[in-house]
Amino acid sequence: MATVEIGAGSAGSGSGTVAGSRAGGRIRARRPIWMERPSRLGTGAKALVIAAVFVVVVYPLYVVLATSFSSEADVAKAGGLVAWPAHPTLDAYRTVFNGGIVTRALLVSFGVTLVGTLLSVAATVGMAYGLSRRDLVGGRFILLIALFTMLFNPGIIPNFLTVKQLGLLGTYAALVLPSLVSAFNLVVLRSFFMALPGELYEAARLDGAGDFRILTRVVLPLSKGVIAVVSLFYAVGYWNAFFNAMLYLDDNTKWPLALVLRSFVTQGDAISNGEGIASTQAIQMAVVVVSVVPIVLVYPFLQRYFTKGVLSGAVKG
Amino acid sequence: MSGKNIVKAELGRRSFLWGGVGVASLALTGCGSSAKSTAGKASSAADVTLPTFVPLAGGAAPDLPATAAGVPAAYYTYPAAPVAAYSAPPLSGGKISAMTPLFTSPPSGHDANPAWQAVEKALGAKVDITMIVGDDYDTKLSTTVAGDSLPDIVVITADPANLPGLLAAKFADLTPLLGGDKAKQYPHLAAIPTAVWEQCTSAGKLYFIPIPRNISAGSGFYRQDMFAAAGVNDCRDIKNADDFLTLLKEITVPGKQYGVAGSSGNGGFSAMPFLHIFGVPNMWRLDGGGNLTAHYETDEYKAAVEFMAKVYKAGCYLPGSQGWTKNQMEDAFQSGKAALIYDGLPGFGVAYQQAKKISPAAAPAPFVPFGHAGGKGVTWKDNIYFARVALKKADPARLADVLKACDFFASPFGTKEHMLLNFGVEGTDYTLDENHNPVLTAQGKNDTLVTFKYLSAPTQAQFYPGQKDLTDLMYKSYTDEIALAVADPTASLYSPTAGKKGTALGKAMSDAVAQIITGQSSLSALDSAVKTWRSNGGDQIRSEYQQALQGGTASTASGTPTK
Repeated sequence: MATVEIGAGSAGSGSGTVAGSRAGGRIRARRPIWMERPSRLGTGAKALVIAAVFVVVVYPLYVVLATSFSSEADVAKAGGLVAWPAHPTLDAYRTVFNGGIVTRALLVSFGVTLVGTLLSVAATVGMAYGLSRRDLVGGRFILLIALFTMLFNPGIIPNFLTVKQLGLLGTYAALVLPSLVSAFNLVVLRSFFMALPGELYEAARLDGAGDFRILTRVVLPLSKGVIAVVSLFYAVGYWNAFFNAMLYLDDNTKWPLALVLRSFVTQGDAISNGEGIASTQAIQMAVVVVSVVPIVLVYPFLQRYFTKGVLSGAVKG
Repeated sequence: MSGKNIVKAELGRRSFLWGGVGVASLALTGCGSSAKSTAGKASSAADVTLPTFVPLAGGAAPDLPATAAGVPAAYYTYPAAPVAAYSAPPLSGGKISAMTPLFTSPPSGHDANPAWQAVEKALGAKVDITMIVGDDYDTKLSTTVAGDSLPDIVVITADPANLPGLLAAKFADLTPLLGGDKAKQYPHLAAIPTAVWEQCTSAGKLYFIPIPRNISAGSGFYRQDMFAAAGVNDCRDIKNADDFLTLLKEITVPGKQYGVAGSSGNGGFSAMPFLHIFGVPNMWRLDGGGNLTAHYETDEYKAAVEFMAKVYKAGCYLPGSQGWTKNQMEDAFQSGKAALIYDGLPGFGVAYQQAKKISPAAAPAPFVPFGHAGGKGVTWKDNIYFARVALKKADPARLADVLKACDFFASPFGTKEHMLLNFGVEGTDYTLDENHNPVLTAQGKNDTLVTFKYLSAPTQAQFYPGQKDLTDLMYKSYTDEIALAVADPTASLYSPTAGKKGTALGKAMSDAVAQIITGQSSLSALDSAVKTWRSNGGDQIRSEYQQALQGGTASTASGTPTK
């Protein structure tokens, strides 16, 4: 039965000549295979796979959350990670927020992420728009230079020396400017802009619009999806970045959350051995929660743009 | 990658065994790469004038005295009236800058940290410390060196490649400032034992100030209550390896509790106590003819590995613990799921307190190794210092100021300065209990995380306020374990090959040994692993150390003279 349907579906697709065929005494539409009503077995199997994937993805997050609410005794009893906190407590969060280090780091991270994302998106959009115009003199060369950074990384020390020479050491600008434009995002945006119908540009030109006006009035309104996605890429990048901060910021009160998180999470293993004050698992997990939640909250708002946005730059047409 | 460096430094020093199994892996890399200074101990006495040792007079009398062998003094309570080490601030203005690793969460910032400000006032200069998460320290150090923006005081971990070259190029030779009686100008530094200073030389010069520790990192921790339940009251009573295996089997109740737990950080199998039981030499053995044998090559090492394989086969290792973090292993130990683990002795206080919190009947104790065939085991002198600091090159007057600051940070236990550096400001950061022990306040817990203790430090005293039993236990353990401690004959030597290849060589060894312990390969695989180790660089390391021991030049690779 199923084979007949599949055969019928695939034979019909693309021909467009016959509206239906008689199989098993019923007329059924010729549809691509993915539009067929799935069998119960298929549905069940899919549900199972999805459930399994869901558990694999969500369970670790759940355990992190559960451990962060656990008492010291719970953690010790479970030998580390806790699946069910028998004595839920906010102690870990109180410890984390005591002293204001984490609170301050949260603010720093919010600030850097917000400002960094805005600047990055603005710079990337501008550059991508320019490079998408075929009449730009030297455009190809500039594009190649940008792409070059995707393939070859100068390394830590040259980066450090550059930042030092520019006088950016110890400033928040050092967290943003060196990574202002990502070549990957640039390519995504440029491809998208190039895929917009040329007639739109011509029409706008005929109406007397300059490039800036075309960009803001024509191109950007059509690019909301892809810009949302690129913004998200940048935002997540800024939010998670700790390495730049470690290199460029000597004052630990300027540290973003990701670096503070690192100090909490790695210390236990690093040595403690009497040197570090071994932080309990619960405190480490609480910091993980504090750092993960804000960025996770952003996703639902951008989700609808997500697939569309990423694909839109990928294929022309 | 870089992250491990500091750990390696520490591990190398403490021989914490990265592969508890591949044991020397780290020590070879860690120590070899750089924690070892070029001037051999054999030649250092002749070549380097070490600071004259002058014990401090008039300090607070300890409840249990320090010994010449290196057992640290112990105090039951904080001295009632801490004495002032300085009548006036040692410096008058200016700034001391420093860079240290950070192994805790970050401290409160300078402006919101009364303890930090009070330290500056007492020192008489601003103190500007760049604190780097321990795992990232070596990366930051290399960029700082490349950017030529070194601060006055720099903690040097084990790993910089070509350490002698780095020291010669960027750091001050302290011999003319601290050598011999010059040290008397800095009484707290002069009170650091000579055995520790011996580890502070390179290329025939004194380059480092040590952050001293207590000679041996011990031989792991065991649960005396669990041993007792299986019929052995004290680990010292175990007669031989066979009895020990029987005991571990007795303790093991699959699914509930196990004889031993490891962690990825100690090589997976907590090998150290086993190596000690079998009398494995500390990294290298030096015979009367001046020849070195790597501990891998010894029969003792082979016997220890064979024994661990038996323990594994008997199901006494906590399943899965090989891949655990240190915290997970500690949790298992503290909650009575494992009766024996390897962790450094300095961490015992925390383990003890946590275990007692979980169950008052718990009785953790430092493991003191017995001899595998009767008699006594060994421990290793693997915790002589935690790290060392080097001072940026500067004119003698400036260096004298920086040394004064180092001397200040090395103020010993029982002084007002020590109290301030470790507990902050009274009333704000700590309060005194009825036994005049300082108790940190919530604010104090954050304020006192500033890493003053890594800018130079006194020898450590044992102090567990309100816990006389723990203090006694630590003192007795140090007494027993230091008595058994054997030295690493290459501890103060530098081998360029070990610096370059040590990590990889050690990793290969620990992988091979892990396979043997878990029964995936037979004991004979150890011989071929050792053969590979030798041909891939082990023999080269040996000959470099031997040359250094004989006072020759061991620096073919780096071109840096060793003497």
